[in-house]
Amino acid sequence: MFKKILIANRGEIAVRIAKACKEMGITSAAIFSDTDKDSLHVRVADEAYYIGSSAATESYLVGEKINEIAKNIGANAIHPGYGFLSENSNFIKMVEDAGITFIGPSSQTVKLMGNKTSARTLMKKNRVPIVPGTTEPITSVEDAKETALKIGLPIMLKAAAGGGGKGMRRVDKIEEIEEALERTKSESMKSFKNDAVYIEKFIENPKHIEVQILGDKYGNYIHLFERECSVQRRHQKVIEEAPSPSLDNELRKKITEAGVNAARACNYHNAGTIEFLYDKNGDFYFLEMNTRLQVEHPVTEFITGVDIVKEQIRIANGEKLSIEQNDIKIRGHSIECRIYAEDVDGNFAPSIGNIYHHRLPSGPGVRVDRGIDVLSEVSVYYDPMLSKLITWGKDRTEALERMLRALGEYQIAGVKTNIHSYQWILNHPRFLDLSFDINFLEDDFLPLLPGKWKEELPNKYDEVAAILAVMLKQKDSEIKPKKNIRSTSNQWESLSHE
Amino acid sequence: MNEFVVNLENKEFNISIDKTNKVIVNGKERNVELSKLSDFSYLLKVDEKVYHITSEKKDSKNYSFFIDGFSYDVSVRTLLEEKAYELLKNKSNNNHNAVVKSPMPGLVLKIKKKVGDKVEMGDSLLLLEAMKMENDIRATSSGVVKEIFVSENSAVEKNEILMIIS
Repeated sequence: MFKKILIANRGEIAVRIAKACKEMGITSAAIFSDTDKDSLHVRVADEAYYIGSSAATESYLVGEKINEIAKNIGANAIHPGYGFLSENSNFIKMVEDAGITFIGPSSQTVKLMGNKTSARTLMKKNRVPIVPGTTEPITSVEDAKETALKIGLPIMLKAAAGGGGKGMRRVDKIEEIEEALERTKSESMKSFKNDAVYIEKFIENPKHIEVQILGDKYGNYIHLFERECSVQRRHQKVIEEAPSPSLDNELRKKITEAGVNAARACNYHNAGTIEFLYDKNGDFYFLEMNTRLQVEHPVTEFITGVDIVKEQIRIANGEKLSIEQNDIKIRGHSIECRIYAEDVDGNFAPSIGNIYHHRLPSGPGVRVDRGIDVLSEVSVYYDPMLSKLITWGKDRTEALERMLRALGEYQIAGVKTNIHSYQWILNHPRFLDLSFDINFLEDDFLPLLPGKWKEELPNKYDEVAAILAVMLKQKDSEIKPKKNIRSTSNQWESLSHE
Repeated sequence: MNEFVVNLENKEFNISIDKTNKVIVNGKERNVELSKLSDFSYLLKVDEKVYHITSEKKDSKNYSFFIDGFSYDVSVRTLLEEKAYELLKNKSNNNHNAVVKSPMPGLVLKIKKKVGDKVEMGDSLLLLEAMKMENDIRATSSGVVKEIFVSENSAVEKNEILMIIS
C-alpha cells in the first residue's frame, strides 16, 4: 500500500481524503496557500506544505509545483479531489511521467472523455443512449440547418471542448442558427482554444440523474446505483439524493447498466460518474462523464455502505475490486444539502468573513463533511461551499425529516449561509411530489428573490427574534454606563451614520 | 420601563421591557430570561421554551439572528431613535452625492474612470470579479467622479464604498 498520499486540494474534500488516509494508516500530506495556512485541511492532515499565494492560479492550479512537492516529499500517490486539476489530462500525464500514481483514471481516458464529440461517438458505439444530434463537429451552416430540421428545434450548440455550462447556446428558430453558430465558435475558441461545435437536441425540463461506477485496473466494473441531482441553480447543484426517487426498478436497471457500459467503453479505472438527462417521456441520454470523485459521493456511501475514497485508493494501488455487483444493495435513502457561504437575497453573492461560531448537527443518520472550523477564514479566492450536510433514513420521508431537524441544529456565525433557504426548498410541493426538474429553482425560487420566499414560510420565531434584539440592546446600554454619559449628548451624531 | 420599536421581515413589534424579566410584546406579557454563552451565542427563555440563538451584532441597532434553521435581520430602536430615524430618512432624499457601493465581495479587476471624468447614468465604472464571473458596475446617476476609494487588484467587501459621483 502507498506510504504517503499528497492531497492536491483544499476545503472539505481535502479533509475527507485525509480522514480516509488516517483510517488506512497512510500518511497524508496537505498543500496550502497563504490564506489557508490555518485551514481545517491543514490541521487534519499529517503533513502540510506551502504551495503559493492565495489565488488558485498561483497555488492549487499550478501542476508543476504540486508535482515537484510530491517528488520531494516522497509521496507515492496524488489524490486530486474534485475541481482544480482533477480533470486536467496534462497534469495527470505529468504525474504519471514522474512515476507517481494518480488516484483516478489514466490521462488518456480523461482526455478522451473531455472531448464531447469523441465521447459521444464512443458512447453511441457502445449502446449508451446519447442526446440526438451530431457526433462530429459542424462543418457548415447548411450542415447545421439540415441537422436542426432533422432532429427538430429547439437545439443546443455546444463546444466540443466545453463543459461546466460554458460554450453552450440554445437556438429556437432556424434563421438564428448562422449567427448563433458564429458566436458559439468564437466563445469556444476564446475559452478552450478550440472552435469545434456540435449539435444536440434541446431536452425540455429534464431531470439530472447520474450513475456512480467503480472500475479496477483489470477490467472489472460495478455500479453503486444512481443519484438524483436536479435541484440546481445556475448549473450549480444544491441538493442531491440517492437513490433517485424518480426511477422505478426497471429504469434503474437500464440506466445503471448504461453507466457500466459507458465506463467499460473508455477503459475507465477508479471512481467515475456518468451523468444522464432523464426526460418527461421516460427516456434517458448520456450527458457527460465526470472522471473524478463527486462532491455528492456521501449519499451513495450512505445507501451502499461503500467508502468510495478508500476504494479509490485501493484501486489506484492496483488491487482488484473487493466487492461484487451482487453485494451492493440499496439500503434506505440519503439526502445532501450543500452549505454555501452566500447571500441568497443578494443575488447569491459569496459571503466572506471569519467563522465565529460553529455548532454541528448530530444524532441518528447525520453526517457533516466540512472544510471549516471556528475562526476559519472564508475568502474571495475559492469556492464558497463551507460544508455538506448529509442525512440517512429508512426511506425518503425519514431522510427528509432528519435533514430538517439537522438544518435546525446547524449554526454558523460570521458569514451568511443558504441554510434558511432549504426550509423553502425541502417543504415545497414540487420537491415533495417529485415533479421537480433541473429548472425547478430557476422557475419557482429565483422569482421570489429578494426576500419574498421567506413570506411563504411559517413565521415561527419572529417574536423571539424581536425579544432578543430588545434584550441585547437594553443590556448594551446597561453595561456601558461610562460611555453612556458621553453618548447621550452625541445621540444625534451617532444616528447620522445610518 | 423602556420602550422599543423592532422591525423584521416587514413586520413591526412594539416592545417594552423592565428589569424584572418581563417584556410586553404588542400588548402581550411574556416572561423572559437571557443567558449569554459567547458573543455570538445566547440562550433565550420565553415563557416555557428555551431557544439557542446565534447572534451577530451589526451595529447598535441592527442584529442578525439564526434560530432553528431560520435567519432574521432585525433592527431595533428606542422610541427616541425611531423619531430621529424618521427625520433623517426624509432629509436624506435631498442628497446630491451618489455613493457607488460594491454589491458583493470580490476583486476589482479594472477601473474605467478617473477622478474628474464625466459619467452618464448606465456608464460602466469598474469591473468586479466575483463568483468566478466579471461583473460590470454601472453608474446609477449622472455627474462627475468626485473620489475613488479602491485600486485595481484590490479585494472589496460587500457594501464597501467604491466611488462617489456628484
